Amino acid sequence: MTIEPHELDVRPILRGGGDPFPVIMNAVDNLVPGQALRLIASFRPVPLFSVMAGRGFSHQEEALGNGDWAVLFRPQEQVDDIRVSGGDMNLDGWPDPTRQLDLTDLDPPEPMVRVLAALEKMEVGEVLFALLAREPLFLYPELAKRGHRWAGNFDATGEIYRILIRVGKPDHHVGA
Amino acid sequence: MFGATLSRWTMSYFAAALAFLVIGETMMVLGYGYPAAAMEAPETLALVHTIALGWLSLLMAGALLQFVPVLVGRPLCCTHLALPALVLLVAGIAGLVLGFVGLSGSIDLPPIVLPVAAVLTIAGFALIGFAFAATLWRARPLPLTARFVVIGLGALVVTVLLGGTYAFVLGGVAGADAAIALTLEGVSLHAVLGLGGWLTFTTMGVSYRLLTMFMLSPDGERRSSRIVWLSGSGALGLVAGGIPLILAGSVGRFALLLLAAFLGVLAVVVYASDIFRIYRERRRREIELNIRASIGAFGALAAAMVLFVGLLVTGRIEQGIGSLVYLVAFGWLTGMGLAQLYKIIPFMTWLECYGPALGRTATPRVQDLVVEMRALRWFRAFYASVLIATLGLSVGAEPLFRLASLCQLVAILVLVLEFTRARRLSNVPASLRLPTGAQRPHLFLPSFQLWRQP
Repeated sequence: MTIEPHELDVRPILRGGGDPFPVIMNAVDNLVPGQALRLIASFRPVPLFSVMAGRGFSHQEEALGNGDWAVLFRPQEQVDDIRVSGGDMNLDGWPDPTRQLDLTDLDPPEPMVRVLAALEKMEVGEVLFALLAREPLFLYPELAKRGHRWAGNFDATGEIYRILIRVGKPDHHVGA
Repeated sequence: MFGATLSRWTMSYFAAALAFLVIGETMMVLGYGYPAAAMEAPETLALVHTIALGWLSLLMAGALLQFVPVLVGRPLCCTHLALPALVLLVAGIAGLVLGFVGLSGSIDLPPIVLPVAAVLTIAGFALIGFAFAATLWRARPLPLTARFVVIGLGALVVTVLLGGTYAFVLGGVAGADAAIALTLEGVSLHAVLGLGGWLTFTTMGVSYRLLTMFMLSPDGERRSSRIVWLSGSGALGLVAGGIPLILAGSVGRFALLLLAAFLGVLAVVVYASDIFRIYRERRRREIELNIRASIGAFGALAAAMVLFVGLLVTGRIEQGIGSLVYLVAFGWLTGMGLAQLYKIIPFMTWLECYGPALGRTATPRVQDLVVEMRALRWFRAFYASVLIATLGLSVGAEPLFRLASLCQLVAILVLVLEFTRARRLSNVPASLRLPTGAQRPHLFLPSFQLWRQP
């Protein structure tokens, strides 16, 4: 799947004397499944390579001149861990998410209610991206019944579940 | 297809289980079985099987129909086996209880009732156990919580096979030396594998998942939880290893069981510290009543362990076994069962009723289906009655035990009423009760639409 990499330029933070690490980790947590991170820094961020490798990302460096570096961190293939709804699941054709929800702090089953409520307000073909504290096992059948398609997986820490849902129409030929 | 759907027959299993619980409590109030009768008397066997099979095992089977898919993230295989299994189990367990009553001489029944009832019960467990085993097999590699269920199911198999042997011997159908030796010497193994393996070990595994889910605690697989699984499995394996030793008539059984007891206690101690950590690391400050009411069950499990070690060390296990089994069956397993029913029933009812309407119109929250303040007192009354009944058994005060059982029966009946109110949506404000798209669930049978799903 070719979702545009998320680009993060930490040079302004470094110039201001700040620590870019939390910002980078936050950006990593918010990547959608399969998405890469393009990091731009004013030095070659060697210590980050092992941290990111530990979280399942490979890296590819590029010198930009003036001592600046761009590093593309790509999630290593983990197709087995991505759970998809089945049917036509060509994720390449999916548009970027138009809504994002962070539901990691809500008690079950509130995340399910919020996701379904958000989907009701979206147009067919639009994509929602949500972060959850648990895999939404009871949400999947409800999404299928309503004709939505989804793909999701845990982040590299195994603590946050990320799910992309493309709004569809109920299709009675697809088994729930 | 990933995910978990609602189990169609779980509510029916729960209803049958609660009916057996009420029958068992009534037997205790009326002074039927232990402590009025001897531990090995047929009356006691009738009471024990009403509780262990009728209540606890049907409850566990119904809960696993819903939880196995949650543990492995896949739908249950062979869902069509749930109904015939329930019918066989209810008929078989009722037959076993009646068979024991017949053995006591108070009703006139042919002795063949026991073996026939045992065959029905084993067939019921085989059907439902096959559905669980097939689901787990297809979901390999299994998460740790599901591996607890695997061991629990293994213990169930050995327990019912032993039980079946006893039924054939008592019914006069089997007379082989080996079968008689097992009947004379293997009853404690049967009880340990049933209460400790099938019921307790499975409950421990499922509780790891449920508690972290309801309290938003970290739920990664920890080394301590793996230690619980390893030592618990080891203990149960050693107990099961006692069976061939009985058949071979060889010595060394005592050492084997002592090692099993050590591993079992280790498992419970590490489990208790895990549970303590899950409560401490929770991200929800306010916890719901099912989680609060479970604390009493964990306390009872810990108390049972202390009592067990105390009896073992002082060599008084024979005198104290009644209180110990009572504390495990009622304080730990029944307490845990009632506490979790207080969440499972409203949640399943909520999803069944409002699932199709979620997000489309205003729906009640799960918490709106229950009134925790009202139920809280009855959970307290339940645990107080368990404590008093255990003390009554320990000091041999039978009237006190029966009085405590009466209090317990009342507390259970009120909690059953609370479950019914949740199921009937009685606590939901009328304006919100049935919005467009919602469907009123039946009390304990699947709704027509669910029924027709493949």
